[in-house]
Amino acid sequence: MRNYSKDSNYAAICCQMMKSYIWIQTTDGAIQQVEQEVAMFCPMICQEVIQKGMGSSKNCAISLPQRVSPAMLSLILDYCRFHQVAGRSNKERKSFDEKFVRMDTKRLCELTSAADSLQLKPLVDLTSRALARIIEGKTPEEIREIFHLPDDLTEEEKLEPLKNTTDDPRIRLLNRLYAKKRKELKEREKLKDVDTEEEHVDDRSVDDLLSFINGGDGEIFFSDSKGIKTSKNKKKHKKRKDLQKCAPSNEAFEMHKKESNAASSLCHNAEVDHELQSSLSEKLKLQDAAGEIFAPTVEFDDVDIDDEIDPALKEEIDREVEDFARILNSDWPERMQELLSLGQERRHTHLSVNGNGALKGHAIAYFNASIWFLPLPVI
Amino acid sequence: MLRKANSFPEEVLEHVLSFITNDKDRNAVSLVCKSWYEIERWCRKRIFVGNCYAVRPEMVIRRFPELRSVELKGKPHFADFNLVPDGWGGCVYPWIASLATAYPWLEEIRLKRMVVSDESLKVIAKSFKNFKVLVLSSCEGFSTDGLAAVAANCRNLRGLDLRESEVDDPSGQWLSRFPDSFTSLASLNISCLGAEVSFSALERLVGRCPDLKTLRLNHAVPLDKLANLLRGAPQLVELGTGAYSAELQPDVFSNLAGAFSGCKELRSLSGFWNVFPGYLPAVYPVCSGLTSLNLRYANIQGADLIKLVSQCPSLQRLWVLDYIEDIGLEAIAACCKDLTELRVFPSNPYGAENNVSLTERGLVSVSDGCPKLQSVLYFCRQMTNAALVTIAKNRPSMTCFRLCIIEPRAPDYQTLQPLDLGFGAIVENNKDLRRLSLSGLLTDRVFEYIGTYAKKLEMLSVAFAGDSDLGLHHVLSGCEKLCKLEIRDCPFGDKALLVNAAKLETMRSLWMSSCSVSFRACKLLGQKMPRLNVEVIDERGPPDLRPESCPVEKLYIYRTIAGPRFDMPGFVWTMDEDSVLRFS
Repeated sequence: MRNYSKDSNYAAICCQMMKSYIWIQTTDGAIQQVEQEVAMFCPMICQEVIQKGMGSSKNCAISLPQRVSPAMLSLILDYCRFHQVAGRSNKERKSFDEKFVRMDTKRLCELTSAADSLQLKPLVDLTSRALARIIEGKTPEEIREIFHLPDDLTEEEKLEPLKNTTDDPRIRLLNRLYAKKRKELKEREKLKDVDTEEEHVDDRSVDDLLSFINGGDGEIFFSDSKGIKTSKNKKKHKKRKDLQKCAPSNEAFEMHKKESNAASSLCHNAEVDHELQSSLSEKLKLQDAAGEIFAPTVEFDDVDIDDEIDPALKEEIDREVEDFARILNSDWPERMQELLSLGQERRHTHLSVNGNGALKGHAIAYFNASIWFLPLPVI
Repeated sequence: MLRKANSFPEEVLEHVLSFITNDKDRNAVSLVCKSWYEIERWCRKRIFVGNCYAVRPEMVIRRFPELRSVELKGKPHFADFNLVPDGWGGCVYPWIASLATAYPWLEEIRLKRMVVSDESLKVIAKSFKNFKVLVLSSCEGFSTDGLAAVAANCRNLRGLDLRESEVDDPSGQWLSRFPDSFTSLASLNISCLGAEVSFSALERLVGRCPDLKTLRLNHAVPLDKLANLLRGAPQLVELGTGAYSAELQPDVFSNLAGAFSGCKELRSLSGFWNVFPGYLPAVYPVCSGLTSLNLRYANIQGADLIKLVSQCPSLQRLWVLDYIEDIGLEAIAACCKDLTELRVFPSNPYGAENNVSLTERGLVSVSDGCPKLQSVLYFCRQMTNAALVTIAKNRPSMTCFRLCIIEPRAPDYQTLQPLDLGFGAIVENNKDLRRLSLSGLLTDRVFEYIGTYAKKLEMLSVAFAGDSDLGLHHVLSGCEKLCKLEIRDCPFGDKALLVNAAKLETMRSLWMSSCSVSFRACKLLGQKMPRLNVEVIDERGPPDLRPESCPVEKLYIYRTIAGPRFDMPGFVWTMDEDSVLRFS
């Protein structure tokens, strides 16, 4: 009697031998076979097979890069298995891709990374686009949250981008003032031989200073320092008395290198009609490239002018600044009261000036009114 | 290398970023963390600088080494209404000079409201070997000499767009400077040119550029020649005609109609200066496919106008004069269901009396009939709170709402009340509103509504409104996303400004003219806010010649990391620490 089962087994074995497999070793050490046409869809595997002759047996299994975990390999092979079939329409492929890429963000990241290391460009594009769609429309905080990224830009660095997205105006104000103080300290260091002035170093902690700003005791924040002498060294005179008390411990802030050239780029304008420009540029060149926060007013700091300010004026400025600081720091209801009382006399003055101005200009205003939102005609 | 499995694969970040091109998204990406900041800046190709004085070109160059496209804006928006005196600034040359040395591969420059000299154009023409796109929107200061340099040297130019610019025209021959071998033009907008251009040069240029999709002609191109151009460019998608009138002649008409029929891709029409209605039917063949129709300068009226727009059911954008009247707007509401943007301009803004029957009813009809309406600019002479409330309820998805009641301080004409409630309804219902222009009689109340509800508002234009500083305070303290605020002739003074000084740093700019902000307050602001440029613009002379409490004529405040500018004319002063000494 003929053993038909033996025959069919034999046939089956023959069929199997016709189909080629590539041997692949995943990062967990496990070795598996993958259909050749599917595996060869990945350029990296293709390279290993063709250029290095790897993958033909268990002994020379192709080791996958670390970024390709067994789970990711499985996904990638699904992708390859589908797309390597020739007859599919674009619509079918697109539809498959759309469904394929629907997975949680974590897996999507892993998959992108894996596809990239296997150089499978179409899949890298697909997953990258999906990641781009996740990123679009989100705030930096949201993006950080989704991808577990560190929040390691300092407040100053966040300010540098062309569009300002930081929220708290007080933090910004604080940072600016810290920066100025830091700069001032550095200046003093460099010109130590010129000046024997006593330094007034404020070593209050950041928390203390913050509480001054937030707590409404703005007076100290903006008030005079007794430590700086005004007459001695003209170059050192700080017109902004309000900054005297605001020196942070330097460790509190990390300076980003990119700010370094900001100061040097500040002496950009040859056409500055300012007699101090030359002495100013000297000053700026002295600055240490590695650490300066960019502050626009640095051109006017430590300016070499006759800075014996009339004390009456000085007093007035200080008073104004205190007013302003209090207003800035107090709560709105109190503020409102204050403004209303502060503004009473001023309002009347304004009205009288305005009254005339408004009446006089009324005809013109009326005339202009009709075109006030009308763009100019082209012809 | 051990990596956190859930962290972003940074090796592909640059590739991912290549799919993110929107400015806001790129800015967000750059603020995520240090490594993303670095990677993003190296692969940023396009930059938009909303205020050319907010940053210096060197800073942009240092941060973004690989730019291919730069967009800059200069003068404040109110320059369009003659409120910014000539010579204020916005000169682009320093930027062009810096960009020329830093980016030899720069491809695109887009400028708006800037002063562009012929010298700048010549530098552009010579410096960028692969220059492709130049857009000069509402610019001035150049002549056709500069354009000739661009034409002659930019071998790969794809787009030249001079929309709304003022151009001196010493020579009409500049078009001939495009070499015969030049064929890459895809977009040409010369609609603002006053003088004639050489028609034969134009015709040859159009004929030899197979990719030409946009062609906006100027007034001087006669109607009887239009057909020739169209036949030379049947692939056109956007067309701006020249003067649209000629003696009615059957052969000219049929030629024109035939030419239009040949333009199967045409989706946008504009131009139409001096329309002779008899020629309008020549465009009927393309009307059904039109998505954009700009009749801003077209003196078509009555039935002709209604007939024309009624043939355009696919319209998404319509700009038209108030000749459309309420009845025409009703027709549009019935027929143009895809309408997203409507602008109705006044035909006779300086006339005291009403020459057209365009009222609040027209806008109400459109708000009712057009479900996709998002953007409105509407000039009219009367309005009611009821109408505004209805519009707000009909269309809660508007992103831009600009209502211009021609008479300043005009109340609700039925109840004689201020229009506070009406605009209040607009901001309350349209939660995605990004741009708003107010008009009519308005008290501080409307600003309270705006501060309370307009949380996504980015740009606000105000004139002849409000009672006190409280109005300004509501806006500055309530509108979280406020970016640009422009105010004229309002009783806003120092208090709201000083109290909300910190807010100003989160905005691009604030313009206040003919208000009550004192010189003293300006000085104070300038001193205390180093990251703001506080510019006092006063043509009466130096502000310190008047009492400190005297209001300044105009005030322009903008945030900047570039410090005060030094190219100011004699009537502009920047308030900063020095000004205390200079002005005392």
